[in-house]
Amino acid sequence: MGSLHCRSCRYGFMPPYVLERVAVQGSERLRNVARHTLTTDQTFRTQRGPQQVVEPLTAPLPRATPGQPARYIHSAEHRQELPGRLIRKEGEEASNDPAVDEAYRWLGATYRFFWEVFERDAIDGRGMPLIGTVHYGQDYDNAFWNGAQMVFGDGDGELFNRFTASLDVVAHELAHGVTEREAGLVYAYQSGALNESFSDVFGSLVRQHYLNRTAMQADWLIGAELLTDQVNGRAMRSLADPGTAYDDPVLGRDPQPGHMHDYVETQADNGGVHINSGIPNHAFYLVAMALGGYAWRAPGHIWYDTLRDPRLAADCDFATFAWLTEDNADRRFGRQSREVVAIREAWRAVGVTS
Amino acid sequence: MPRLETHSVLCIRREGGVAHFPGLASPRRIHCGQCSDAQRQWLQDLLERAAQCPDTEGGADRRRLFIEIEEGESATGTLPVWSLSLDEAQAPEGLVALWRHGEWQV
Ligand SMILES: [Zn+2]
Repeated sequence: MGSLHCRSCRYGFMPPYVLERVAVQGSERLRNVARHTLTTDQTFRTQRGPQQVVEPLTAPLPRATPGQPARYIHSAEHRQELPGRLIRKEGEEASNDPAVDEAYRWLGATYRFFWEVFERDAIDGRGMPLIGTVHYGQDYDNAFWNGAQMVFGDGDGELFNRFTASLDVVAHELAHGVTEREAGLVYAYQSGALNESFSDVFGSLVRQHYLNRTAMQADWLIGAELLTDQVNGRAMRSLADPGTAYDDPVLGRDPQPGHMHDYVETQADNGGVHINSGIPNHAFYLVAMALGGYAWRAPGHIWYDTLRDPRLAADCDFATFAWLTEDNADRRFGRQSREVVAIREAWRAVGVTS
Repeated sequence: MPRLETHSVLCIRREGGVAHFPGLASPRRIHCGQCSDAQRQWLQDLLERAAQCPDTEGGADRRRLFIEIEEGESATGTLPVWSLSLDEAQAPEGLVALWRHGEWQV
């Protein structure tokens, strides 16, 4: 009983990133993990039953007054139950828990962006409370939107830092809520990649707005703060140069294409939603760079108009989306405008139109 | 659900999350022929619990686990005879630990 006895079995099964990290970096902590896993007899632990499905929060939380967010930050206390214990609500002082205070701060910055730039009052446009949970799970390397709230792990400390560290990642998650409410883009294949791209575009714009950076000054990265210094990479994704964000022996190489020539046909990742989003991401970047100035102005408004356009179908593909952005630019700025020209050229440059 | 036999191979993948990292996407394979009877029974119980987990709808950047039982090794590789996909957050605890650390609980 206990650990596996045959070497091929146990080594074949250890997560490759653990073994590789031990081999490459010789991390003491991971060496201990490996040793523990491979040699220690494990006592039978009692199993938890399946967790409850997360119910959308319908609790009568106070609604925000327009222009004011209503933030509720919880701690899951390293379990996977949502929303967890309420730690800091709107208007309360800092908690001195960095993850709680980052979530509070970045959700506030994201709220302000949508309010000041688009006059949008939170996720649903009607002051919906911003509910966040931090310290989710053990060494949890992810952040997600569950349809009702945002959830952030602490990271494992070896590959990833805590997921509240990046403003653009917090904004990415909140933007999923906005996209869900406005367009309901199906989370698979091209419509899913558009859904992902909206979150990256707004995520990056929120950061640019917070830092007061023009398109030229912006770094156009997503999740730059998330990767530890043991990872060979700058960020999780780059809108400026998809496919170049990281190239690491453990994480692999950034798989994002920036052109339809390199479009990835796959069943994995919901049909490549975090992969092929590189193409519309790069189109937005090209529009922003062509027009110059603050990217949340004309480019951001055109993308936001398109998100709210009733013609944007839930199963929209890249080509239809490209046409809709051009049509929305035409409506806002006119057929002969430089905005329309920039959009047409950007979609051509990434190979979505010819 | 088929019973795990000594010729069965259990394959577990994790997908999704806020980014797709190719290096973290590779499947873990457990060759049942190299497990003890008690370990194989533990895996069988784990799969049966996993199959009863409720699934979740909606949201974005969630992670999912994909489990396959493969049988029969031929020149063309193994054939999946059973598969299951479930939300990582709903999965039985032992399954994630097994994927993540290769931890066994027998
Ligand atoms: Zn996302």
